Amino acid sequence: MGERLKGKVAIIAGAGAIGPGMGNGKATAIVFAREGAKVMAVDCNPEAAEETRRLIDQEGGECTIFKADVSRDSDCRHMVENCIRTFGRIDILHNNVALGAHGGPVETSEADWDRVMNVNLKSMFLACKYALPHMEKQGSGAIINISSIAAKKTSAYPTLAYAVSKAGVIALTREIAMQYAARGIRANTILPGQMKTPRVAYYYKDALDEEVEEMWRRRDAMCPTGKQGEPWDIAYAALFLASDEAKYITGTTLIVDGGLSSTTKSW
Amino acid sequence: MGERLKGKVAIVTGAGSVLAGIGNGKATAVVFAREGAKVMAVDYNLEAAEETRRLIDEEGGECITFKADVSRAGDCQSMVETCLQKFGRIDILHNNVGIVQWGGVVETDEETWDRVMAVNVKSIFLTGKYAVPHMEKQGSGAIVNIASVAAIRTTLPNCAYSASKAAVIALTRDMALQYAPKGIRVNAILPGLMKTPQAEYYNKDAWAGGDTAELWRRRDAMSPTGKQGEGWDTAYAALYLASDEAKYVTGTTLIVDGGFSNTTKSW
Repeated sequence: MGERLKGKVAIIAGAGAIGPGMGNGKATAIVFAREGAKVMAVDCNPEAAEETRRLIDQEGGECTIFKADVSRDSDCRHMVENCIRTFGRIDILHNNVALGAHGGPVETSEADWDRVMNVNLKSMFLACKYALPHMEKQGSGAIINISSIAAKKTSAYPTLAYAVSKAGVIALTREIAMQYAARGIRANTILPGQMKTPRVAYYYKDALDEEVEEMWRRRDAMCPTGKQGEPWDIAYAALFLASDEAKYITGTTLIVDGGLSSTTKSW
Repeated sequence: MGERLKGKVAIVTGAGSVLAGIGNGKATAVVFAREGAKVMAVDYNLEAAEETRRLIDEEGGECITFKADVSRAGDCQSMVETCLQKFGRIDILHNNVGIVQWGGVVETDEETWDRVMAVNVKSIFLTGKYAVPHMEKQGSGAIVNIASVAAIRTTLPNCAYSASKAAVIALTRDMALQYAPKGIRVNAILPGLMKTPQAEYYNKDAWAGGDTAELWRRRDAMSPTGKQGEGWDTAYAALYLASDEAKYVTGTTLIVDGGFSNTTKSW
C-alpha cells in the first residue's frame, strides 16, 4: 500500500467499466485506493461499481459504492451527502462519466445533443456544485475532470456533440480553478487520447471478434507510439493531480495521448 | 527511499542553485535521488552542483557532479560520455538550465539575444543530440525540458526569454514525435512564479528595487493562489513525467503555475 493519498477521501464518478476489462474510472479508483484513499465508487450501474469495489477489497483497500445518474441534480447532491455521512469529508472529486457521440450538426439530433451535454458536462457542474462547499469548509480539495483530445483536435470522424462537451469541460474546470485558487481547492483536466478501454469496445459489442481485433490494430496504428494508451495511464495522471505533489497545479490540462494531438495527420 | 525511479540514471542540468536555497534543478535532483535514481548533477558552477550532491548524500542517495556549460557542444558530449562511463546508461535527461534577460526588442542587444537562445534552447538541442542515441539503443528514455509560462503569457517585456521558452516547447514536441515509436518520451514543464534562488537573482532589482522580501510579497500577490510555487512543485512534476507512471505522456506541456497563466488581469 502506498501513502500518496493517505487519509484522503475520493469520489469517483464513473468508477465502473461498461464491459469486461479495465476502464479509466475503474483503474483510477483502484490506484487511489492503493495509495491510501477511501474511495466512493459511483456509477449509474451499481453492478459495475460493485465489481470495482470487489477488486479494491481484494487488495485490502477501502471502498463503498453509490448508484447515481450524475446528470441529475438530486443524484449529485445525494452522492456528496452520502460521502460526507460515510467518510466525514471529501478531498478528491474525480469526474469520469461520459457518453460518446458520432456525427456532425446535421446528423446529430437535438435530443442527442442535450443528452451528451448533460452527461458529459452538466454532470461535472453538478458534482462540483455540491462538493465544493465541503472542500471550501475543509480549506482543501482537488477536482479532476476527464476531458478528451477531441476537445482540441478533430479526428477523421465527426463527433460534434462529444467534442464540444469535452471543450466545455476544460472551460468549466478553469473557471472553478480560478474562483477557488485562493481557497486551497485545485481543479484540473486530463485529456486522454486513444485508450484501449471497455468503453471503446462497447461500441463494437455486436461486431465479430476479428472486427474488434482489426479495430484495435487500426487504433494502435494511429498512435505515434504505435500503441493506444491504457486505463492505468489515466489513473496515474489522476493520482499525480489529486495528490499534494501537484499542490501548485491548478486550472490546467494534462494531455495523456502518446503525442497524438501533436500531429497533423488525421486519425 | 521511494522506488518510482528505481534503477534509473538521470542527468539533471542546472542542478545547482545560483543563490542559497532550493531551486527547481536542485529540488529535482534531490527528489529523483529519493525515488531511487542515480543522479548526475550538472552545473557550470561546480560548487553549486557539489552542494546538491551533499544534500543527496546526507539522505543516502547516489549522486555525482559534473561541470558543464551546456550551451557548448563539447561539454554536452563529455557530459553524456561521463554519465555512461560512471553509470552505464541514461534513462532521464532533465534540462533545467535557463537564464533571464529583461527587455523588449529595442532594449535587447543582439549579443544578449544570442546568449539567451544558446543557453535556453540550443543547450536542449545539444544535450538531446548526445543523449538520445543512447536512449534509442536502450529502447527507452524520458526527457523533461523546463520551459516557462513566459512562453505563452507576457508579464514584463522579456522578448528573448519568452521566445526561447516558446522554442523549448516546439523543440520538445518535435523530438517527442520523432522518437515516440522508439520508446523515448519528451515533455516540457512550464513553471509560473516560483520562489527560487533564480527568481530572486534575476528579479530582485527589476521588480522590487533590490528588496527580496518586497519581491516575494509582490509575486505572492500576483499568484491566484496567493502564493508563489516552490522548487519542489517543479520537482514533483518532473518526477511524474520522468517515471513510468507517465509512460503514455509525450510531446506535451505541463503547466505548474497555480493558475497564473489563466488570468487576464495585468500586474
